[in-house]
Amino acid sequence: MQALPPGLKPIGLLLLSVFLVVFPFLHEWPFFRIFLGEFRTFNATMFAIWLLVLLGMNLLTGYSGQISFGHAALVLASAYLTAVLSQQYAFPLWGAIGLSGAATAVVGWVTIGIPAVRLRGPYLAIATFGLMLAFPQILKMNVLTRWTQGALGIRGGVVEPPGFLEGVLDGREWMYYVAMAAAVAMTVLFLNLTRSRTGRAFVALRDSEVGAEQMGVDVPRYKALAFGVSSLYAGIGGGLFFAVQGFVSPDSLGLIDSIFFLVAIVIGGLGSVLGSIIAALFLTFQSEAISALAGFVPGANNLRNVFYGASLIAVIVLFPKGIAGFFQRPLWPKLR
Amino acid sequence: MGLFLQQLIGGVASGSMFAILALGIVLIYRSTGTLNFAQGQMAMFSTFIAWSAMSTGMGFWPAVLLTLLSALAMGALVEWLIVRRVEGTSDLNSLIVAMGLFLIFDGLALYVWGPLPKSFGPFSFFSGGASCVGGVCIGRLNLGILVVSIVTTALLYLLFQCTRFGLALRATALNRPASRLVGIPVGRMLSTGWGLGTAVGAIAGILAAQSLGLEIRTMFFVVLFALAAAVLGGLDSPVGAVVGGLIIGVVKNLAGTYTPSSVGSIDLAVAFAVIVLVLMVRPNGIFGRPVRMRV
Repeated sequence: MQALPPGLKPIGLLLLSVFLVVFPFLHEWPFFRIFLGEFRTFNATMFAIWLLVLLGMNLLTGYSGQISFGHAALVLASAYLTAVLSQQYAFPLWGAIGLSGAATAVVGWVTIGIPAVRLRGPYLAIATFGLMLAFPQILKMNVLTRWTQGALGIRGGVVEPPGFLEGVLDGREWMYYVAMAAAVAMTVLFLNLTRSRTGRAFVALRDSEVGAEQMGVDVPRYKALAFGVSSLYAGIGGGLFFAVQGFVSPDSLGLIDSIFFLVAIVIGGLGSVLGSIIAALFLTFQSEAISALAGFVPGANNLRNVFYGASLIAVIVLFPKGIAGFFQRPLWPKLR
Repeated sequence: MGLFLQQLIGGVASGSMFAILALGIVLIYRSTGTLNFAQGQMAMFSTFIAWSAMSTGMGFWPAVLLTLLSALAMGALVEWLIVRRVEGTSDLNSLIVAMGLFLIFDGLALYVWGPLPKSFGPFSFFSGGASCVGGVCIGRLNLGILVVSIVTTALLYLLFQCTRFGLALRATALNRPASRLVGIPVGRMLSTGWGLGTAVGAIAGILAAQSLGLEIRTMFFVVLFALAAAVLGGLDSPVGAVVGGLIIGVVKNLAGTYTPSSVGSIDLAVAFAVIVLVLMVRPNGIFGRPVRMRV
């Protein structure tokens, strides 16, 4: 967005909003029908969810310089909480998602953020790595089966649009609007947050913890806060994940997803909203793109991780700002 | 009491396997300050090399030797080609590179050897009757793992404490500029550190495959126990890695034995709990040096 000249910005935003609003119906229009299928609506819904999750992860890693290999565990936890609340305690789905998001934020803040205050990079990485590997096993524990249904997972119902929209939208289109609205609202919130005093404190934390402390940044407080806010995004994303997929099991998300989140934001661009958007596009379409590639290059499916690993390293070494770096001026040119 | 002793010995044996994997992690951490999350996948990759060598008709020990040499070269190459590019930039960069290595080795193994599990052992050295002393028995597999681990650790100890080369490695880990000043080829030492760490990892991989079988995900969870061991002992202390590994092995086994079945399996959760507890109480582990930070 920042690359646009000032006069074009409102027009660009308007076009974008119109595009997002009509998107579920685009595939019925004559021209767009050629390359859009009905399934694209589901893709776009997943894009919105990944955008939420990756914004949170980018806030933590790209802006605040903290690493977490456990982000998928937070998403999974929130998906489970939403599932339990809505399926077993008869919470309305939207209430369950909101509550799970808030609960995940508190959990991330108190149980990860506050301990993380004491941990330097590698140690924090180990702790979150451990959480990620142990979490599915914890979900499968027999003592928790009453709520989690063990390895079977929890199935949810099909989400129907509210009464006044019946006949206008089907369930899939309704979910698209809900998820996209959440993603847009939280992206705006994100932009404001990162440009505020708090956002600058996060960046100072990333660039030098000791330096930030010298400048009067309350390091422990902001470090814990970074985890809290990032968990809020993961939590909302997780709740929507359950609503959209209609199913969650201990193996829905695992270590490899956490690593893919990292791959996505590094390739998209650390410390940038545009980077998170590119990252979410990457995560939405990566498996489809690789399968398409496998049609031409035999074995491409199996080589996928080699390709991602090599890209991860190449981006870090050669273009630390990722793809977004080619589109925009540095987000934080100089902190005056 | 008999059950307790039995589980204790089993724990020591599997713990010794965690210990040498942790030892590899510590060697690499001391060399370039990289926490090598790819250690498990690199060990798995090396073990597949041993499998390939043996499937061409090579004997077990020659195949192991070949594997160790290729692991040594592989580790050194990784340091020289990749890790050196992000040296001294930031913790975040080196962790991201470690994750990149994780994906590369994971994907390469999948591409070359496919997703199906391979049968790999237990070989003659690791199979046979149990040995018993006073009613407490140790299976041949565990005995073999224990012996190999002890020999590995002893050889590494000799290398580090009794040779000029080991002295140079220790000096590099301790103070790089000073080592350079006294004429130690620091770059080569860093590569060697990675090579040794990877080779030690390969041994752990071969041992793990004896009991767990060989597939892409064999080391996925083993590496968590090794990380817990390394954190417990202190990330920069080889002695700590061994002690930590043994403690983790014993705790894991005892927790598995004495947890009521109504709770379910908890070994991974226990490893995670150990990591968190240690980091809260003693962030540098039992034997680790505290780290001072400068602006």
